[in-house]
Amino acid sequence: MSTANWDLQDHPAEGGPFFQLGAVGAIPSGQGVVEGGVIPYKPEALQQKQENSKNRWKADPELKCYMAGIPRANYMPYPFQIVQTPKSILMAYEYASANRVINMDKTPVEASVDTWMGTANGHWEGATLVVDNTGFNDQSWFDRAGDFHSDQLHVTERFKLLDADHMSYQASIEDPQVFTRPWNINLVLYRHIEKNAQLTEFKCVEFAEELLYGDVRKKTK
Amino acid sequence: MKTRSLLLAFSLTTAGLAFGQTSQTVATKASGKTGDKTYTPPKTAWGDPDLQGVYTTDDLNGVPLQRAAKYGTRRFLTEQELADRAKDVNELESTVQTGDRPTKGFWASQKGVDAAAVPAQWVEFAKHASQLTSLVVDPPDGQIPALTREGEKRRAAAPNYFDMRPASWEDLSTYDRCITRGVTGSFFPSIYGNGAQIFQAPGLVAIRYEMIHETRLIPLEGRAHTGPGLRSYMGDPRGHWENNTLVVETTNFIGGKVAVGGVPYSEDLKLTERFTRVAPDVVDYRVTIDDPKTFTAPWTVEFPIRHETGYQIFEYACHEGNKAMHNRLSAARALEKGDAEKAAKTSEQK
Repeated sequence: MSTANWDLQDHPAEGGPFFQLGAVGAIPSGQGVVEGGVIPYKPEALQQKQENSKNRWKADPELKCYMAGIPRANYMPYPFQIVQTPKSILMAYEYASANRVINMDKTPVEASVDTWMGTANGHWEGATLVVDNTGFNDQSWFDRAGDFHSDQLHVTERFKLLDADHMSYQASIEDPQVFTRPWNINLVLYRHIEKNAQLTEFKCVEFAEELLYGDVRKKTK
Repeated sequence: MKTRSLLLAFSLTTAGLAFGQTSQTVATKASGKTGDKTYTPPKTAWGDPDLQGVYTTDDLNGVPLQRAAKYGTRRFLTEQELADRAKDVNELESTVQTGDRPTKGFWASQKGVDAAAVPAQWVEFAKHASQLTSLVVDPPDGQIPALTREGEKRRAAAPNYFDMRPASWEDLSTYDRCITRGVTGSFFPSIYGNGAQIFQAPGLVAIRYEMIHETRLIPLEGRAHTGPGLRSYMGDPRGHWENNTLVVETTNFIGGKVAVGGVPYSEDLKLTERFTRVAPDVVDYRVTIDDPKTFTAPWTVEFPIRHETGYQIFEYACHEGNKAMHNRLSAARALEKGDAEKAAKTSEQK
C-alpha cells in the first residue's frame, strides 16, 4: 500500500523511462518511511547509492526477477502470507515465489551460507514478533531508488498487530560497512480482507529472460 | 527429469548444494513399503492430523519412475535385490571419497556428455535404500499409460535437454530456466534439493519445496477454485481431510509447458494428492495424474517421504545463480559461428 518500494525516502512523482507508457509507466510520489527522513550513508557509500540511482533501470535486481531480500520483500507491491506455527513461521511471498522460514525455537539457527532472504530467528516480546536476520549476500537492494547494503547487513524486524487487519512493521537496519549508524523504517501492513483472498502466482523469470539473455538469442534474419 | 537437471546442476552457484554423507546405507523395508495404515498420527492443537515437519525424498533417488519389465506387477524388491541396491548406493557414495566419476545410476545415463557430468559430491544419496521397483504404482505394471495423439505431439515438440543449439531460452525446459518444475516435479526425487516442509494452521496447509523454492498454500475451508481465466504453473490447490489423510485437488494449470512423466501436460490436468502419516517419521505420498488430453488413462505414483534428522532445507537461488542459461546460449551461437566460418572457407577453396 505504500510507495516504499519506489524509494524509502521522500520522493516526488516522476515520468517513467519509456514515454510510450505515459501515466501508466510513471512513478508515484510518496512520503518516506525512514525515521528521521534520511538514510545515514557513509560518504563513499552515498556515492555508490547515487550511482545505483542513476543506473536504476539497469541495475535494480527486481528488473532481473531476483529475490527481494529483507526488508524489501515485505513492502513490494505484491502480497505475502504468514503461516504461523509454534516452532516456525513461514512467510510466503507472491513476488518470485520467494519464501523464508523464521525459526522460533529457543536454540537459534546460524547462517551456514549467505543467502538472498537471510537466516531468521524470531521470538515474542509480548504481542510483538521480533525477528533477527543475518547471513545476507550483498546483492539485493532496499528499493528501486538504489538504496543498498553489504553482506554485513543485520536486520531486526518488529511485527505488531494494531487491530485485527492492520499491522505495524518496523525494521532496524545495521550495516557498519555502509551506514554510519543503525536506522529504522516504519510502515503499516494491511491485511487482505476479501473473502477469496489468496496469493496468486508471479513467477517473473519469464519476464526477465529477454533482458538477461537477449544478447545470445539466435538472430532471426 | 534427472537428466534435465544436469547442466543446471553443473553451472549453478547456489547455496543449496548439499554434500553426500559417507554413512553406510541401510536397507530397510520402511523406506519402500507404505507402512502401517493403522498408525494413529498425533493431532494439532485444533484437532487436525499433524503432518508437520521437514521431509526428504533422498531415499528414492535411483528408483525409476516406470518399472523395469523384469519385475512385472511386483511392487517391491526381494530382500536380495534390496541388498544389491543398497550395495550400489554405498559404492556410489564411496566415489565421493575417491573422486572417481561414478559409472552407475545417473552417471551411466550420461553417455557422450562427459563435460557435463556432475561430481558425486553434488548428489544426495539414499540413507535407506528403497524397496520400491518403481514410483508408478497404478497401472499395476508400473507403466505410464499410452499417450493420446495430442500427447504424442506435445512430447515430440517438448524442449530437448540434449539440444546443443537452442535458438533461445524458449527451447529449454522450465526447469533449466529456473521457472518451475511443477507440482509433481517439485516432489519427485531428484539428484539433490529433495527437501519439503509441511506447515499447518487452522484451515490451511502449506508445503514448501526446496528446489526452485516453491510454496503451495492449500486452503482447507471448502472455498471454490479460482475461475478458469486464472491459471498458473503450480495450479490452484484445495484440500480436505479424509480421516487421517490430507487430500489435495489441484486444477487451473498452465498447459503445454511443464512435463510430468516426460510429457508436457495440458491445461486440463487434475492432480489428486493424498498425504498420510504412517509412522512418526514417514508420510505416505500418493498422486493421481488425470489429464485425458495427454494420457489415455489416469495413473498414480506413490512413495514414502521421510523425516531425516539433520536434513536442512537451503535457499535454492536457482534463477539468481543460473549461469547455465547464458552459457548454453552463447555456446550455441559460438558453434553456429564456427560452422559459418568453416562453410566460408570451404567455398573459398572451391
